[in-house]
Amino acid sequence: MSDTVLEVKNLVTTFRINKKEYPVIRDISFEIHENETLCMVGESGCGKSVTTLSVMGLLPENGAVRSGSIKLCGEELLGMSPRQLGQVRGKKMGMIFQEPMTSLNPLLTIGYQLTEGLRQHLGMSKAEAHATAVSYLEKVGIANAEERMKQYPFQLSGGLRQRIMIAMMMSLQPRLLIADEPTTALDVTIQKQVLLLLNRLKQDMKTGILFITHDLGVVAQIADRVIVLYSGSKVEEGATRQIFENPLHPYTNGLIAAVPNVDSDEFEIRPIPGTFPSITEEIGGCRFHPRCPYATERCRQEVPQALEYEPGHFVACHKVEEENK
Amino acid sequence: MSDQKQVLLELNKLKKYFPVRKGVNLKAVEDISLKIYEGEKFGVVGESGCGKSTLGRVILQLYPQTSGACVYYGKSLEEVSPAYVAKEIAHLTQYQQKAKEFYQKSLEIDRKIAELNTRLDALSAQGTDREVKAHWKLSKEIAELEYRSHELRKDASRQLREGSRTAGSLILCENIAEIQQLFQKALECSLKAREAQEQYDRSDARYGEALVEGQADAQAEKELEEYGTQAAQYRAEARKWREQAFSFRGKNIQMITERCGDPEYWDKLDRNYETGINLGKLSPSELRALRRDMQMIFQDPAASLDPRQSIGKAIEEVFDIHTDYGPQLKKEKTLELLDRVGLKAEQYDSYPHQLSGGQKQRVGIARAIALNPKFVVLDESVSALDVSVQAQILQLLDELRDQQGLTYFFITHNLGVVKHFCDRVMVMYLGNLCELSPSHALFDKPLHPYTRSLFDAVPRPAVRDGLDASGVLEGEVPSAVNPPKGCPFHTRCPHCTDRCKTEKPAIREVAPGHLVACHLYD
Repeated sequence: MSDTVLEVKNLVTTFRINKKEYPVIRDISFEIHENETLCMVGESGCGKSVTTLSVMGLLPENGAVRSGSIKLCGEELLGMSPRQLGQVRGKKMGMIFQEPMTSLNPLLTIGYQLTEGLRQHLGMSKAEAHATAVSYLEKVGIANAEERMKQYPFQLSGGLRQRIMIAMMMSLQPRLLIADEPTTALDVTIQKQVLLLLNRLKQDMKTGILFITHDLGVVAQIADRVIVLYSGSKVEEGATRQIFENPLHPYTNGLIAAVPNVDSDEFEIRPIPGTFPSITEEIGGCRFHPRCPYATERCRQEVPQALEYEPGHFVACHKVEEENK
Repeated sequence: MSDQKQVLLELNKLKKYFPVRKGVNLKAVEDISLKIYEGEKFGVVGESGCGKSTLGRVILQLYPQTSGACVYYGKSLEEVSPAYVAKEIAHLTQYQQKAKEFYQKSLEIDRKIAELNTRLDALSAQGTDREVKAHWKLSKEIAELEYRSHELRKDASRQLREGSRTAGSLILCENIAEIQQLFQKALECSLKAREAQEQYDRSDARYGEALVEGQADAQAEKELEEYGTQAAQYRAEARKWREQAFSFRGKNIQMITERCGDPEYWDKLDRNYETGINLGKLSPSELRALRRDMQMIFQDPAASLDPRQSIGKAIEEVFDIHTDYGPQLKKEKTLELLDRVGLKAEQYDSYPHQLSGGQKQRVGIARAIALNPKFVVLDESVSALDVSVQAQILQLLDELRDQQGLTYFFITHNLGVVKHFCDRVMVMYLGNLCELSPSHALFDKPLHPYTRSLFDAVPRPAVRDGLDASGVLEGEVPSAVNPPKGCPFHTRCPHCTDRCKTEKPAIREVAPGHLVACHLYD
């Protein structure tokens, strides 16, 4: 498809711990299209963030992509030189992280940090960059933008800082925006403001968004499609409605059941038993089987393949496969 | 069991200001008054900076309060007998004396007023300029004196009120000196009982230690019995003295002020009689002893564990500080705790980095419940955990509450968790109470506009068509250094009126147990 922004195929990423290699991402494939938000959910350690780092080429020293392909607008990113990657990052793909304060330089004004990318990537003059930056600050709903340009990050609240990060990324008009838990550190009222803003920008600029979160509530609000990760593997993928109204994988079910819902009256605290496996743990077959209530002998032996049950709804589970034979 | 809920903690106009610089304060907690009942799961929600964590810490006296009181009823005042009680008892006669003095002074002034009034009456008959001026001067003088007399009367009743905290209506008795002595004797006995109790606990630790080793310590057993009866005897004696003191109630009443003859006034003073422990008045060592009863579980369990200390040692540290347990008994108790919070015995020798986030939080819980506390403050204790683990920890907390009769003060920003975990919920905004209600009532019918917009903003795990923009709050939380005048929420409130900008709404009970501070419900 021509409007595919990001295409990841059979990605395998490993980490070296104590001179041994452990796979963290085990063969993940997905696509993001224009004007689409793809949410990746899962518990901490499931590989959500490592996926984004692999895409951006920002893996730490002990991590490496072992196989697969990552294509941004048809261009292969794996094997690019750091210099080429630097050109792509920022211009074609933007990133927003959880804690905006760690991505903003405390010693530089907001204005300087906003115009830097515009001048470097788009070759704008100082005045042009300034005008563009101000217009984007207004777009993300920041009042008296001219004033804000002169301020330093510490003078702003968390919500404002995150808006500035968004303005900074969007002003370069990237094709892909990677947002790694962008609202987790924010209060709910501010979170809602930021989510609305991201949604509007996506529609205006036809950006594809890869949105990482562990909050299923946020997923339901913002995602067009959802990927559920468990211990480095994709266990379920589908449209948001498919995932929430017809979750098939036992892990997705457990995850949704564990969220204390504000609207429902009958909620019983129903945790998923057991603990999340560490990446160094060897688990044969389906990696979820030690915690799965339906585990069979086959689950212990054989790794399940992701199969399509409805158009666009993929599930990797032996139980689902057998029920749908 | 009676239906009457036992109050465990009572907050009375609790305030906490942090000084920013001279004359400028960050008003973190403003005038919070509430009662927390035994066995309750009390939730506090609000955005960051609303003062919920500060409140939790002020209750535990980790921050001293600026004003107001925090009274703990989990232990009786006699059991603890803190030093401030002795001071108060010694002060009893002075309270009465001062009240008398103030009242006498006010009577004197009253006489003077009467005298001046007659002069005034004589003056007003005539009408030259000079006389009008004198008349004006006199009435001004009278008004001033009236004010002073009124103030003195207030001072007098304030003294009596202070005294009644330790003596109830006995503060009005003529033989206050005798009563004071009785109270002192009672206090001495209570202190001896406390000492015997400490001896008892020490012997108990030795006895337990020997038992783990598989042999009975006859000496310790004998001591246990001895100190046990001793403590009981002293307690009975203290009670006897106290009863003797209270036998004077309503007798030998001295007319210190004009209200003293009124039995209703006696009742009022009796209600002031404190049975709880005023945490703000305790000395550091007394507070430390009381920490056994009041514990805290933090958000980030990793931050409260020493990375170079094994899990077992981390838990045993609690016993090192607060008990005289020997090494064997400590280990046994620790293993029992590990089991109770769902950890394995092998993990006794593990180090924090070997545990997952949920397991570390279990260690934090084990440490908090090790001494059988009555009251636990949980400050965002499940917020850092993944949903599936979060649910496990909530389940564990529920079980522990049922087993040990704990009371939780549960601080969180997650409304979903509050709804399903807490019995009662308080919503805070900028240090103020917005709404306080049983949680089902709050979630069925949120009244305060802030509560409603908070509910609207919660992302729901259910698909809707498009992102719903209704109820989005504009702007951000104002600074607590310079909070808005009137209702603190008026700058963001969709229903703001002129009245909200000038007048702070009072807290009203709009339905049984449902308090709200908003002009909409006046």
